[in-house]
Amino acid sequence: MALLRRKRDDKEVEPAPVPAPASIPMCDALPRERVCVKGKVVRMTARPTSGQPALAVSISDETATVTAVWTGRREIGGITLGRKIAISGVPVLRGDHLEFTNPDYTLLPR
Amino acid sequence: MNVIIAGAGSVGRYMAGQLQDSGHTVTLIDNDSTVVAQGRATRTPVGVTWCLGDACEVATLTAVGAAQADVVAAVTGDDEDNLVVSLLSKQEFAVPRVLARVNNPKNEWMFNDMWGVDVSVSTPHLLTGLVEEAVTVGSFVRLLSLEGGKARLAEVTLATGSPAVSKELTELGLPRESTVVAVLRDGHVVVPRGDTVLHEGDEVLVLVTGGVEDDVRRALVG
Amino acid sequence: MHVIVVGCGRVGSEVALNLAGSEHDVVVIDRRLESFRRLGDGFKGTTMVGVGFDRDVLTEAGITPNCSVAAVTSGDNSNILIARVARETFGVKHVVARIYDPRRASIYERLGIATVASVAWTSARVLRHLMDSESTPDWIDPSAKFTIVERRVSTAAAGLSIANLEASSKGRVAVMARFGEASIPSPATLLQEDDVLHIVIPADSTELLDSALQATGGSHS
Repeated sequence: MALLRRKRDDKEVEPAPVPAPASIPMCDALPRERVCVKGKVVRMTARPTSGQPALAVSISDETATVTAVWTGRREIGGITLGRKIAISGVPVLRGDHLEFTNPDYTLLPR
Repeated sequence: MNVIIAGAGSVGRYMAGQLQDSGHTVTLIDNDSTVVAQGRATRTPVGVTWCLGDACEVATLTAVGAAQADVVAAVTGDDEDNLVVSLLSKQEFAVPRVLARVNNPKNEWMFNDMWGVDVSVSTPHLLTGLVEEAVTVGSFVRLLSLEGGKARLAEVTLATGSPAVSKELTELGLPRESTVVAVLRDGHVVVPRGDTVLHEGDEVLVLVTGGVEDDVRRALVG
Repeated sequence: MHVIVVGCGRVGSEVALNLAGSEHDVVVIDRRLESFRRLGDGFKGTTMVGVGFDRDVLTEAGITPNCSVAAVTSGDNSNILIARVARETFGVKHVVARIYDPRRASIYERLGIATVASVAWTSARVLRHLMDSESTPDWIDPSAKFTIVERRVSTAAAGLSIANLEASSKGRVAVMARFGEASIPSPATLLQEDDVLHIVIPADSTELLDSALQATGGSHS
């Protein structure tokens, strides 16, 4: 049971930061390379394609905006306008911006 | 172009040979060690790189350089495998063009962007289409479905009574959402221009988006 | 409850027999008629020969958004197809897929599909997923004071921090699995739907834990 024991000081400690993977500014992300970016959700649209539901989420850091598309879903718990989120995946270039399909995501504290 | 073909059956090997001949770099993946051993030993198709592995695994796709591939063609005899290969190619490697073969027409509805498929080719459909083409002059035959079903390549062999015979292409009044891609005449390809005059017997290849198929049919068939 | 089990192998038949016995409405689908022999005589459910990702077959099997679907054939690819069709085409929320290749688990989990790896006790784990039943704990300490339970995070609890969950439930999250990867989460980590948690709690705190996990959060931060 050693795994389960955690050392805790008696005094109040700052919670350790959320271990989000190392991210880069969105403007530096390149298509077809695995990358992690983080930013704020600025837009959410249902994007049904080929008869199946899909959720398209635009995420922006100060440098650029990317889109994450989750297939087969209309909503994802915790992903709402204004939420800070990190996504990780291999994007394609769609027109003038990068698009991720079903990326890993991490909800970040406000 | 860098092309990865999953499935070294007759379709995959044929495609590999054709593409390699045209100067593209082709890798063929198959899970059957006998097939791969034979391919490597006999060096057919010529110039193609063989890979023994399961194309449905990220590790295999990584090993054959899917991250740099321009096209992945999932042409195994198994629809499930073709769909999974397509999904991985799009999602994990952002491959720009993913082509997948539909073995059972009942599954055709899944072969679109839901599974990362850009172009689906239904062998039974294609074969039926080719049979129809061989047998019937003058009918509108669908060959290929593109962009997840939003566009179709079709073919019409102009019959004697076709309204298009002896007309220039610009006179046909084809709708904007269609394009004549090629005219096949007497065994060679005519690149269509506005003033190209169509003859009886010409095989007209036209790209159509769903809504205007009927208009195109009326212009070419009557 | 209406349950559709696709694949009548060892796991599928065990799951089907177990559920039909407890008065659930069970339909078993398999490509081969011979597979149903595993169900024995007197199987109280229905059997159907067919392909589990065929929409007509699933419709005939009575698929609705409220039913549960277990994709437990012998092929990972079939299972992922069945799971996606059930979820995305038919809106089924309770879908579990069995996977043989753990490296594919993260791909499926990212599509929001619960997966069960093919190890011992697969049927038990599949059943647990289907029944949404939190009844079987991972472990109970000999003094019966503490227990480790497994919970899959629902949409409601997304955004709740580990620290908050631990405070409300008086427990500790030992291990968290997300997108197929396990880790020991930090207190500031925010829960996401489909996370699988293994939580140590006082033996009598299960209700407390479950209500903490139901608390809806626009207010989670």
